[in-house]
Amino acid sequence: MTDDGIKKEKSTSDKNGMFKKIFRFLKGMPFSFILLAVIAAACVLGSVIPQGQTLSYYMETYGARKGNLIAAFSLDRVFSCWWFIALAALLCFNLILCSISRIKGVINAWKRTKSFGIWGSWVTHLGLLLLIVSFALSQYTSKEEELYGIPGSKQALGRTGLQVEIDSFDVLLRDDFTVEQYVAGLTVHNGSASLSGEASVNHPFKAFGYRFYQNSMGWANYVDIYKGGELVKTDLICAGEYTFPDDFPSLVIMFNKFYPDFREAEDGSFYTETPLLKDPRSLYGIFYNGGLMSIDIVKPGELITVHDYTFVLRDPVQYTLIVGKTDPYAWTVGLAAAVLLAGLVLSFYVRPYEERKRKENGKD
Amino acid sequence: MAKIENITFMAALAAYLVSAALYFVYIAVKNGKVSKAAYTVMFAGFVSHSVCIAVRGILAHRLPLTNQYEFATAFAWGITLCFLIFVKKFKFDALGAFVAPVIFLVIGYASMQSKEIHNLMPALQSNWLGFHVSMAIIGYGAFGVAFGVAMAFLLKDKVHGKIAETIPDEKTLDLIIYRSVALGFLFLTLCMVTGAIWANNAWGSYWSWDPKETWSLITWIIYAVFLHLRVRKGMTGKKAALFAALGFVCVIFTYIGVNTLLSGLHSYK
Ligand code: HEM
Repeated sequence: MTDDGIKKEKSTSDKNGMFKKIFRFLKGMPFSFILLAVIAAACVLGSVIPQGQTLSYYMETYGARKGNLIAAFSLDRVFSCWWFIALAALLCFNLILCSISRIKGVINAWKRTKSFGIWGSWVTHLGLLLLIVSFALSQYTSKEEELYGIPGSKQALGRTGLQVEIDSFDVLLRDDFTVEQYVAGLTVHNGSASLSGEASVNHPFKAFGYRFYQNSMGWANYVDIYKGGELVKTDLICAGEYTFPDDFPSLVIMFNKFYPDFREAEDGSFYTETPLLKDPRSLYGIFYNGGLMSIDIVKPGELITVHDYTFVLRDPVQYTLIVGKTDPYAWTVGLAAAVLLAGLVLSFYVRPYEERKRKENGKD
Repeated sequence: MAKIENITFMAALAAYLVSAALYFVYIAVKNGKVSKAAYTVMFAGFVSHSVCIAVRGILAHRLPLTNQYEFATAFAWGITLCFLIFVKKFKFDALGAFVAPVIFLVIGYASMQSKEIHNLMPALQSNWLGFHVSMAIIGYGAFGVAFGVAMAFLLKDKVHGKIAETIPDEKTLDLIIYRSVALGFLFLTLCMVTGAIWANNAWGSYWSWDPKETWSLITWIIYAVFLHLRVRKGMTGKKAALFAALGFVCVIFTYIGVNTLLSGLHSYK
């Protein structure tokens, strides 16, 4: 062999040694500690910095320098950004390597002792691995759409191909006017068949692979718009929404707030005495070219006249917000959690028990 | 009825304080009679406390585990329960000097919360909520005990004489910390799983990274690291005890800090 050959051999064995070292690091516990520490730190940031706001929000709240840092490191959406996902993937990688390298030892110990507890930590790690993978699967395959409407309305649920009819909506009140339950009667059509049922808080309605959640509610008003005494438009808008005459879109009426049982406090502020529809008022604003012209409070049916146009807010009605969600792999997350829990019980309770018994029997 | 709730609550609060004082006397004089008295007083407080919680449940017609006051008092109850069991199991009387003050602080925090009984908003009317909070009480209770023992561990070589004699050797302390963290870890995991099921029923999302969820995950990670430190030889002892203490700080933050400092689904204001 020439000198060159020897050198080459030496460098490959060096390389092998280095790879071995790297491999040992990647499957080792110190690496898991580093990953877990960084993940925990990311969690702290993600809980302290409000998530999912606009860039201008961060600039205003934290100043330009910190705001830019937040944008650069995606700290405005920590839990869905690439580096957080990469950390989770690395943890999975670490868990896989460590589980593969430990399996032989675990099986040998199992053959020797026939004690289930031996599997504890291995099953725990498997459960955690499955949990991360199934969580990702469920997140990427789940779909969510929302719609809102009043009883009698029928709408498409996003682009799911399902049609949702709101048959009824009731707010059940207790004697003290606190809310006992919100109940929406729904009929869901999928083109060929339809299913009816109720959705209330904590009891979603299941139909065609979707779960329908009663999410929230509010008040809506019908708005009639007259031009020179002639009805030109009727719209239904929820509190917080606006509408305008189609031939004059720069004139806008905004329905701000609704008081079902109106009272004026001594300091001039408005409030509602009860949630019952007893003496209703609507707070509205008129805008022209984006500028506020007037703001006032009206009873249902009262005329609001601006130049040629007259607006009437009438027949206030409660609308419901329904969320339709499908999460076809959520069950895998549940299964993974069960594996993790089983692993913990094996580690903490079966193993010590078996070990004690073995000692008492004088084996081992 | 409401009067019974108040009286039993004050009795429990007082008993825990007296018991803590007696445990302090015990580690100073190392007299078995004193520790027995401390245990008895603690036990009496626990009984009174249990009556208090039961009466509230009857008054409210539901599991009394839904607002800041109810959870705080149940939290103290959980630590007391775990403590009473661990003291007997490991025959470590001086543990009271480290855990009773924690119990007193937590029930003291409860006493500062509004005791008014409110009707539940619809999202809170769920059996899963009951499971969820029950798991948290046992888990947090076990972590509370681990915290007390970790304190004993960390202070052991700083004290001398009789006090040091009442504290078991480090191996025993390490074992108790481990057993209580293991119990807590299992129940924290159960707490997160039942919470996820509840959230899925109420909001259609089993995990949404709201601050409370995120902090329970941070707590979970810290205790997971603790469990591994013990497995790797040479890393037991002080470092592990520090992690057990740090974990409990996280527990408290998850419970109180998140509600007051950070906002999310879990703060119904
Ligand atoms: C967040 C991640 C992890 C969690 C929650 C976790 C959980 C656990 C639990 C509960 C135990 C049992 C401890 C006991 O019986 O006292 C354990 C043991 C163990 N884990 Fe992990 N683990 C994680 C990550 C890892 C990783 C990535 C590795 C790979 C290096 C690892 C290696 C081990 C080893 C070697 C044991 C000791 C098993 C024994 O003593 O038989 N763990 N783990």
